[in-house]
Amino acid sequence: MSSPLLQVEELRKYFPIRGGLLRGVKAQVKAVDGVSLVLQPGQTYGLVGESGCGKSTLGRSIIRLYEPTAGKVILDGADITHLSRKEMLPYRERMQMIFQDPYASLSPRRTVSQTLREPLDIHNKGDRNTRDKRVRELLDVVGMSQRALNRYPHEFSGGQRQRIGIARALALNPRLIIADEPVSALDVSVQSQVLNLVADLQREHGIAFLFIAHDLAVIQHVSDRIGVMYLGKIVEATDSRTLYASPKHPYTRALLSAIPLPEPGRKRSRIVLGGDVPSPANPPSGCPFHPRCPDAMDRCRTEIPAPRELGTPAAPHEVSCHLYD
Amino acid sequence: MNTAAEVMEAEALSDAAAESLWTKGLYKFRRDRVGLWAFAVVLLYVGVALGVWLGFWATGWADLAGEKWEPVSSAHWFGTNIIGQDIFDRAIYSTKTSFEIGLVVAVLATALGGILGAIAGFFSGSWLDELILWLMGVLDSIPFLLFVAAIAYTLQGNPYSMHIAMVVTFWITAGRLVRGEVIKLKEMEYVDAAHALGVPEYTIIFRHILPNTSHILLVQATITFVAAIKSEVILSFLGLGVKDGMSWGLMIAESSQEVLAGFFNNFLSASVLLFGLVMAFNLFSDALQDALDPRTVSD
Amino acid sequence: MAEPLLRVRDLAIEFDTQYGTVRAVDGVSFDVYPEETVGLVGESGCGKTVTGLSLLGLIPKPPGRIAAGSIEFGGRDLATASEEELRKIRGSEISMIFQEPMTALNPVFTIGNQMADVLARHKGLTNSQARTEAIEMLARVGIPSPARRVDEYPHQLSGGQRQRVMIAMALSCNPKLLIADEPTTALDVTTQAQVLEQINKLQEEFRMAVILITHDLGVVAETCQRAMVMYCGKVAEQAPIAELFAQPRHPYTAGLLSSIPRIREDRPEHLPIIAGRVPDLLHLPAGCRFAARCERALDRCQTEQPELGEQTASAACFNPVPL
Repeated sequence: MSSPLLQVEELRKYFPIRGGLLRGVKAQVKAVDGVSLVLQPGQTYGLVGESGCGKSTLGRSIIRLYEPTAGKVILDGADITHLSRKEMLPYRERMQMIFQDPYASLSPRRTVSQTLREPLDIHNKGDRNTRDKRVRELLDVVGMSQRALNRYPHEFSGGQRQRIGIARALALNPRLIIADEPVSALDVSVQSQVLNLVADLQREHGIAFLFIAHDLAVIQHVSDRIGVMYLGKIVEATDSRTLYASPKHPYTRALLSAIPLPEPGRKRSRIVLGGDVPSPANPPSGCPFHPRCPDAMDRCRTEIPAPRELGTPAAPHEVSCHLYD
Repeated sequence: MNTAAEVMEAEALSDAAAESLWTKGLYKFRRDRVGLWAFAVVLLYVGVALGVWLGFWATGWADLAGEKWEPVSSAHWFGTNIIGQDIFDRAIYSTKTSFEIGLVVAVLATALGGILGAIAGFFSGSWLDELILWLMGVLDSIPFLLFVAAIAYTLQGNPYSMHIAMVVTFWITAGRLVRGEVIKLKEMEYVDAAHALGVPEYTIIFRHILPNTSHILLVQATITFVAAIKSEVILSFLGLGVKDGMSWGLMIAESSQEVLAGFFNNFLSASVLLFGLVMAFNLFSDALQDALDPRTVSD
Repeated sequence: MAEPLLRVRDLAIEFDTQYGTVRAVDGVSFDVYPEETVGLVGESGCGKTVTGLSLLGLIPKPPGRIAAGSIEFGGRDLATASEEELRKIRGSEISMIFQEPMTALNPVFTIGNQMADVLARHKGLTNSQARTEAIEMLARVGIPSPARRVDEYPHQLSGGQRQRVMIAMALSCNPKLLIADEPTTALDVTTQAQVLEQINKLQEEFRMAVILITHDLGVVAETCQRAMVMYCGKVAEQAPIAELFAQPRHPYTAGLLSSIPRIREDRPEHLPIIAGRVPDLLHLPAGCRFAARCERALDRCQTEQPELGEQTASAACFNPVPL
């Protein structure tokens, strides 16, 4: 097994809530509360969860858009958690990001050509000609016409803009792309086009993905390994086949059963959770899921469950739940 | 609910030329009747001012060209003033003065406001932001006329003391507007993308964020232009403004005696021309704002 | 078969935009029977929301208008009814709930206030009577501690709860028809499950018809008895649910169903896609609007527009997918 491309160790990101006359810190929003994961080169790790679970914050903390409060991010064996902007530059070539909102992820007054050239300019890649060539290449890779070069973002549809965003992320030949809900804002018929593009990039260029989404069906389609997040922690992590075949954590089971399937007449016993998704500013005591959990025991109210390894070294399956203690 | 936008959803990549947001704005502007007329009037004034500056006409504005208080005639289109100077020439010459002040102040104040506002907004909450806000607060609380007088005195009658005073006071509005807009814009994902690419912070501010406030800056510049001209009139009237040269403010000041004696030409010429420019520019500025409003221009 | 509750015939809705006049809905016809749930499905820009809004006369009048067609309900034609008549119907006979509960609820009034407003207007209740009834409604839609919640403001509730409050308000006067415009799109999956279950339960209890507007085929499959698929302002296919999903006849419906990522045992390398993009409503092609993206397009499709029932009763297609 080659050495991992990305290792995240006990990462935490807390946001202070300020209040009062002197704007002191009143409380913390624990958006990411101790997350660890490993990503091998060329693999796709799917991070799934509902709003407030911290998956987006996790992605942004890994790429240093947010400064991690605690824990480590190790890229290609190097600890990049606290590097300065200058020191981060060479690592930025290896790790890039694509965003959710196609209408906000491209600078409105820059042409496509300018947007795609920027990464090459900042990192001094080759001379002018090489860069221009590379820009054209990128448009080909994402399946867009060369006519797009002199256009402005507002002249494109959501799906096309998303592809331009992907082209920008590819410019520096990254080994890892963090995709933050890249298809959630797209129409259904366009989603599949972009998902196919992502699958091609995985296969043909060996790019690893940290794919963040709330749609389990989308996640299953692209991921090798999946981590289910709830209120800042990963509650279950295993390979995608096992997750769908034998989910262990009650939340994972509820999530799977909540997905409306386009298969009418199929009788399902649906697990409908009571209550609402809690806010990370005010997490419940003990296991964060206990107020909504159909299998909650007394212990769950007071003790936070530790992650347990239920699988084999070849096929690890980690679950954080007292049912398996 | 956004049904019109829903309707506009899919735009095919046609053979038409690339359309920047400016082109779209221009297209919108061209359909605004009032705006176009206002713009035409402004251009007329610009032409006049340019001619004066190049020495084509009104060079003899200080000459004693005629008799005291001559009425309107073919030799003197607006008549003459109390000492026999041609009012028309003086009024035309003043156009150049107004434009000079308006442009210098508008450009400098807007630039200063844009830069400081962008920096304050981008680093909002930090000491830099607090510093710039404090500066804005302090300068804003000094009464304008006193400020001009103080600067004029300090600079020992430097002819640009008026310009300096105006720039130092007028940049604040632009600064506040830009700061507010930048605070919003820096949360956009394209700014995140630039960070993720390793683009240095100041490059992000000036390459990605500030250009997206340019519609605000342009409109603010036109408003500042008008404010500068109007302020000059008051300052010149009080003797704090234009020192050498002629302006509508000076004309109005010197005409106060004439009006008491029943001779209105001087007063009217200056006032009407001033009113014309201010009105036209205001209407132009309104039309410009409508045309450049990103909510209607972009998708 | 009972009489239809709602009869829409040849509905056409236009908008004036800076680039010209656009027909967002172009000749749509359908019926809704009492106590059934009908789905109106399609992607963004297909005209489903506009259709829903037009039933209650909620299309903003300056840029938009009902250009043609009729909407028969309770013996009246809603397409030509006066604002006065429409106001009497809204909330009492036909109710609507929207996608974003935060913008549909007024943030400066309490929940109780807003509900009482509706109750007072349509049922003529006094303040205290209205409050009691509001608390009852909140309990019925599954809001815990309704007596306390009734005095809270919208921002104090979660997304799912706000949506339920909107449902409570919509049902407070026992309407015959509920139009739900993407009611769960903005909600998390687990909350969505709750709200859909609630809508199903209430539909049975109140014995009303529901038009569910959505882009999510999964939601349609689980809640509706019949569905209409819209594309580019027209109805592409209309069928009972089981048929629609098991044997879609229109190539668009078929393409849509197969391109949705689904949880499968063995996942495919590539998802089947529908090539191309939805055409610009300002530059509509001459023939069938789906022809450019259709694998089954014939020559005829480029020049003639198919209507529902061409080759098969349920689809508007000259060359429908064979059984």
